[in-house]
Amino acid sequence: MNCEEARTQFVDYWRGTLEDTRAAFDAHLVSCERCRAEAAQLKDMWSALGTLPDEDPSLRLRSRFYDSLREWRRQEAAPRHVFGWLRHPAFQAAAAMVILAVGVGTGYLLRGREISEVSQLRGEVDNMRQLVALSLLQQQSASDRLRGVSYAYRVEPDDSQVLSALLTTVDHDSNVDVRLAAVDALKKFTNNPVGRNGLAQALTKQNSPLVQIAILDEIVEVHDKSSAPAIQALVASQDVNPEVKQHAQWALRQLQ
Amino acid sequence: MYEASDSSLMQAVREGDLGALAILFERHHRPLFNYFVHMNGNRELSEDLVQDVFVRMLKYRQSYQPARAFAAWMYQIARNAQADSIGKRKLEVALPDREFASVNVMEENLKRRQEISILKRAMARLPVEKRELLVLSRFQNLKYEEIASILGCDVGAVKVRVYRAVRALGEIYFELSGESAQRGA
Repeated sequence: MNCEEARTQFVDYWRGTLEDTRAAFDAHLVSCERCRAEAAQLKDMWSALGTLPDEDPSLRLRSRFYDSLREWRRQEAAPRHVFGWLRHPAFQAAAAMVILAVGVGTGYLLRGREISEVSQLRGEVDNMRQLVALSLLQQQSASDRLRGVSYAYRVEPDDSQVLSALLTTVDHDSNVDVRLAAVDALKKFTNNPVGRNGLAQALTKQNSPLVQIAILDEIVEVHDKSSAPAIQALVASQDVNPEVKQHAQWALRQLQ
Repeated sequence: MYEASDSSLMQAVREGDLGALAILFERHHRPLFNYFVHMNGNRELSEDLVQDVFVRMLKYRQSYQPARAFAAWMYQIARNAQADSIGKRKLEVALPDREFASVNVMEENLKRRQEISILKRAMARLPVEKRELLVLSRFQNLKYEEIASILGCDVGAVKVRVYRAVRALGEIYFELSGESAQRGA
């Protein structure tokens, strides 16, 4: 390997991705002082470059994205107009006048309609919250997932997708804070049998005493007697933290 | 955790599940924003461009080929968006010789702050095509194959160009470090 060939391998060398050429590269560095010095000098800079702090975009970026995504979804959901002339400005202007006249006339009669439009709009907003919650709950960074949980508070309590994502989070998330937040958010879903059952099931799957105690408190708070067998199983279990066991016994007494 | 790959998410978007794009947005908007900030030094413009990239993904979603790495496709769209913005706004490509404003830097200690400041100034002085290679290879951690696919050239050429970009940055960096050491003395 000559100097030129060796130098184009520098980045692979720093990244640890030199494979077939590793032996020839090492041999060249041993024999060539200039390349050795250059590799060492540039390596420090390469490492420093990797630690440059990232910039954070403003919060506006996220809301703009979700606004336009909602707009796209709405457009795609709307039936396509087969008649191109419906879009002609002259037709639209005339139609607008007719609609205005009819609208003013019937507005008094059909006040209920407004309510249905508002509820449609509310449905769309909920849909977006669901989307944000579900997307954030799947992120790698714990702080993103925490934000996902906070969005989950804002969906409708019958949203089964968010409920199931929260239960998965309680069962499997690697971060205790995220799991705790998800337990809190599940409070919203305790009117739903799936939510109550999921919470009780999560109890024995947990390895964190903090999370177990939070779940027990929540079960007691909503006075969910159907969870008693799961709590009994926890009490009977061998490898449960003594404080958790004590708390579980207390919870059983409360449910009686 | 239960993570879907970028490529399968984009396929879902292509097949009409637009909501899957939200996951891709949450995953990629920050690195993409940083790519643009390095390219044009303007935060506001960079946010517009990130938005533009995701809208283009929706618009041209049928053109996504699952066989191709998602990152390569995304950065190709990003490059086009950046190029169009230069055309539209008639901006000078080269960055002004200044640091990017950064709130995060405040937390670091003085020596490290100096190093960061010099590196950023050196990056800003680098010609834009070299800077882009470093952003893609170092900050975005893309493989040579992916960069080659974005730039439309072969892997061998990417290797050589990345090395030359590192070396060019090194020259500016050591020159600036020397100046600041003299000033300090």
